[in-house]
Amino acid sequence: MAAIRLTVNGTSETVDVDADMPLLWVLRDTLGMTGTKYGCGVGVCGACTILDGDRAVRACQVPAAEAQGKRYTTIEGLSKDGSHPCQRAWLDEDVSQCGYCQAGMIMTTCALLKRKARPTDADIDDALKDSVCRCGTYVRIRKAVHTAARLGGAK
Amino acid sequence: VTTRRDFLKVSLLAGSALAIGFRFDDEAEAADAPARFQPNGWVRIEADGTVTLTVGKSEMGQGVRTSLPMILADELEADWSSIRIEQASPSTQFSRLGTGGSFSVAGSWTPLRKAGATAREMLISAAAARLVVDRASLRAELGFVIHDASERRVSYGELTAAAAALPVPADVPLKKTGEFRIIGQPTRRTDGREIVTGQARYGVDVRVPGLRFATIVRPPVMGGSVKAFDATRAKKVKGVRAVVRVSAGVAIVADNTWAALKAREVLDVTFEAGPHAAFSSATHARRMTEAATQSGFSTRKDGAGTATVMKSMAAVYQYPFYAHATLETMNTTADVRERSCEIWSPTQAPNDVQTRVAALLGMAPEAVTVHVTLMGGGFGRRLGWDYALEAAEVSKAAGGGPVQVLWTRADDMKHGYFQAASLHQMSAGFDADGKLVAWSHKKVSSPHNARRTPTAEQMRDPIFFRDISWGVYDVPYDIASVETSYVPVETPVPIGPWRAVFSPSSTFARESFFDELAEAAGADPIQFRLDHLGGAEKLTAGELTIERPRLRRVLEVLRTRSDWGKPLPKGSGRGMACNVYDGETHVAYAAEVTVRAGKVRVDRVVCVLDCGLIVNPLGIESQIEGGVIWSLSSALKGSITFANGAAEQSSYRDFEVLRIDETPRIEVHLIPSHGEVPFGVGEPTVPPMVPALVNAIYAATGQRIRTLPVRLEN
Repeated sequence: MAAIRLTVNGTSETVDVDADMPLLWVLRDTLGMTGTKYGCGVGVCGACTILDGDRAVRACQVPAAEAQGKRYTTIEGLSKDGSHPCQRAWLDEDVSQCGYCQAGMIMTTCALLKRKARPTDADIDDALKDSVCRCGTYVRIRKAVHTAARLGGAK
Repeated sequence: VTTRRDFLKVSLLAGSALAIGFRFDDEAEAADAPARFQPNGWVRIEADGTVTLTVGKSEMGQGVRTSLPMILADELEADWSSIRIEQASPSTQFSRLGTGGSFSVAGSWTPLRKAGATAREMLISAAAARLVVDRASLRAELGFVIHDASERRVSYGELTAAAAALPVPADVPLKKTGEFRIIGQPTRRTDGREIVTGQARYGVDVRVPGLRFATIVRPPVMGGSVKAFDATRAKKVKGVRAVVRVSAGVAIVADNTWAALKAREVLDVTFEAGPHAAFSSATHARRMTEAATQSGFSTRKDGAGTATVMKSMAAVYQYPFYAHATLETMNTTADVRERSCEIWSPTQAPNDVQTRVAALLGMAPEAVTVHVTLMGGGFGRRLGWDYALEAAEVSKAAGGGPVQVLWTRADDMKHGYFQAASLHQMSAGFDADGKLVAWSHKKVSSPHNARRTPTAEQMRDPIFFRDISWGVYDVPYDIASVETSYVPVETPVPIGPWRAVFSPSSTFARESFFDELAEAAGADPIQFRLDHLGGAEKLTAGELTIERPRLRRVLEVLRTRSDWGKPLPKGSGRGMACNVYDGETHVAYAAEVTVRAGKVRVDRVVCVLDCGLIVNPLGIESQIEGGVIWSLSSALKGSITFANGAAEQSSYRDFEVLRIDETPRIEVHLIPSHGEVPFGVGEPTVPPMVPALVNAIYAATGQRIRTLPVRLEN
């Protein structure tokens, strides 16, 4: 066990957890932030994607020890009322079916837009092709990423 | 007779749903009761005007928490922007909450309209007394009762106390189709905001005081068991609280999920393999091939022997096992106490969960409270109660208190129930004039066995096999001789409902083979189908009635909308297929593909769908898009294979599903309302997609796909 300091959604947190506990479980079980989802635990579905600074990372693949001193943003950190451009775009396009994968999809989109403010379809496919949506909302996700870009999601 | 609805244990929200006389269990609530108007379990209006609508179906992405309140709110004349949604829990009032069979909207249609209209009429009566006018001079609109003559209006909130004192009318007028103002409007999901802000609560997100987290180490081989285990090493993992034997295996209960997952890696456990250790998909495929030589149970026989066949064709189609692979793995939180139990479960079958957990614990059903959470996908998997029962077992074995049992992705891939593998022996005959005069479809597969085992009586009953042969016996085409049959094959693989249940494999075989016949006849595939949809306008097959004119219309619209006949570049091809699901929803697809170096890219999918009255077009389009992706995944990506008695796949790495970069353009054309009632959509979108795809692959490459998943020669 080790005390690990990290910043989540602008709030500094100190957690006393196993150094190898994936950040996914630190968020969900230790900090009680359940917006970040468990999908596979082996980094192949993208459901647990969060931002490390401006970069999308898989929370199930980041051991707590590596989180020391880092600044993370989770879905809860975008806005509580759904006003962030990516959230608004997702609502406008009525993307969600079951919705379970969408936190990961939205966080991946945030990272994409920070890299490329007006992505092409090819950019979108490339950024999101490692994320699984079993309900099959991909058509609307593509539309929503464009909408998010228009709404200023790059900021 | 087992109808498909009994089979799925899907039920009407009828009868008890409209029971009069709601009782408040809570004293504090009872004190507020006079100001609150609740004529039935579905509608509650507070004095402040808040309208709360109850949803009696489980939300798994099909949009019931939007479409069902739309029906209620429309009859109630509520302001859509003011409504709140509440999820029903099993109780005497809600005794039939099962969700499946694409039956939520269709089955709820009339009861919910009556519930909404009852409340509306009572509010109008209350307003008539208050305004001292004839109730016939009043109308309800968007949360108000309005008296046009005097230009007075009273809000629903102001009428709650008076309305609550009125008797509940037995028979109320329902709106006419043209009077709907919410039904038929594209309506966004009511849960959208919770989802995009991370506040939506799925099964895995249940957090209650004192919650512990558990995982179960299961015997790897189907039908295996735990021989012995030693918890010493597992218990040394920090945070592990208990290691207990349960029916499913050995449960590790810990302070957090990670501790439980770590401990499972070091648990010393040995297993008995049991009787199925030699089972493999290959042996099962051989068994199906052998079984195909049997005549099996006749599921339809029309005009047999009347046709003179001059040229015959035959083909065998094969369909594999599939997993549901919902993104949220199976899980349930259970808190077993001395005389009661509380369950939080992402379940499609809350009443089953309640009664079975009660039986397991030796409690009365009323002692078990079941909270239905949102679910991260269902697709039929969550009609099972296995994962809820074991959570109750773990909580009890660990000394009580709340425990969340989470299945790992590998658990979920290997230990669920599966879509059944099947083999389809097809044959057809043309007469001397080249007319198709004979059709035969024999399905070899295994009935569901995971939730319930078929009885000995069912296993002798041709009607039982007919009713699990959707897509086979209800072949819609007008052919002089039609013979269909079913040969059951035993399997140790747990088999259960999967999106569209028995239909996808049957429709794959039927519509692909029909394409082979069209080609043999030198006919265009759409025209060939239209040519065989003449004859009687209504075809009765078993308990289903197929309306051929509706299917013809869907095909005609498809021909126009898909640019059918327009040339495509070399290496590309176009194919189509159609289906009538359960005699109700009519669907046709056209697919365009490009094949390069043995790799299939789906460029475009056009869907034409007639589901009767349209409740939420935005939701229907969503379900179609989802059905397309689901089906393309099954055709082009992963399947489940077994070796040494166990499923070989363990994640989306080896059970692949379609990704965004493989997603085609999808165009949807809904046939405007044909009739007064809505039919289901979630499942019907699946069956004809795969044959449309393989027919397109044939058009592009000349390779006829008769085995799934698609594997092309270079």
